[in-house]
Amino acid sequence: MKIILRIIFCLFFGAFAFQIYAHHAFTAEFDPNAPINITGKVVKVEWINPHAWVHVEVEDESGKTVWMVEGGTPNTLIRNGITKKTLLPGTIIIVRGYQSKGRLCLPICIANGRDVTFPDGSKVFMGSSGTGAPRDGTDPRELKRE
Amino acid sequence: MRKLGFFFILLCLSWQGFTKETEEHSEIHDLMAYLLNPAAEAIWDSAGYVITEEGEFNLEPTDQEGWDKVKHGAKVISESSYLLSMPSRAVDDAQWVALSMALKRMGERAFEAAENEDSEELFKVGADLYQVCVACHQTYWIKEE
Repeated sequence: MKIILRIIFCLFFGAFAFQIYAHHAFTAEFDPNAPINITGKVVKVEWINPHAWVHVEVEDESGKTVWMVEGGTPNTLIRNGITKKTLLPGTIIIVRGYQSKGRLCLPICIANGRDVTFPDGSKVFMGSSGTGAPRDGTDPRELKRE
Repeated sequence: MRKLGFFFILLCLSWQGFTKETEEHSEIHDLMAYLLNPAAEAIWDSAGYVITEEGEFNLEPTDQEGWDKVKHGAKVISESSYLLSMPSRAVDDAQWVALSMALKRMGERAFEAAENEDSEELFKVGADLYQVCVACHQTYWIKEE
């Protein structure tokens, strides 16, 4: 019995360790084949490293859904013109990005944001460079490298 | 029975062999998963802001225990740089070691910020720490699509 428990322990923690380390790569968490446009109201912004998170409430016939959108570092966002003053709760934005691998919204809908469009029509890159995200033309640094 | 127990300990240690990772990757993997990642998150989670319709909330530690947690993470990061730059782990002589030493500096800066209870500086260090992580990952790990 102890041996079986040991095997279960090994399998569980081995798999868990792989997930922890995979945390930083785009392809470990997000699906490059699942692009998404999210239009909704900002309800919460987490200005934290290594990624800022923008919570966007989307309302449709079926009700309200909150998407957690991963952005670049707060510094990257600020350099691109996205600040605490421009990304206030209540602002209606359009985020272009990629869904999480599960696409199931369990327990919450998660996406990786590439660019964000503000009510005045301005569009700004909100992602991270060098994470393995698809070269989709949204990252200005990616264009410079080519 | 003891032999069986020994066998399963070996199975635990070599689990990464089942995930197509090489033994060399497995060592770095474990260092990242069990030392560096939790240590970095102790720093990242202790600086920044959350803004909602109710207002702005600062994430800085509110007591000594919180700052001590940051100091612990900072020391783990600076000391782990030596583990990364061990000859058996260094992928090359120059850049790998240079990036490891950059990591050491980040740990030292984070420790200093925690000692001074300077959350603004800790936030800056958190951003710089991530840049060091990305520089290393881009060079040695992540392959762009």
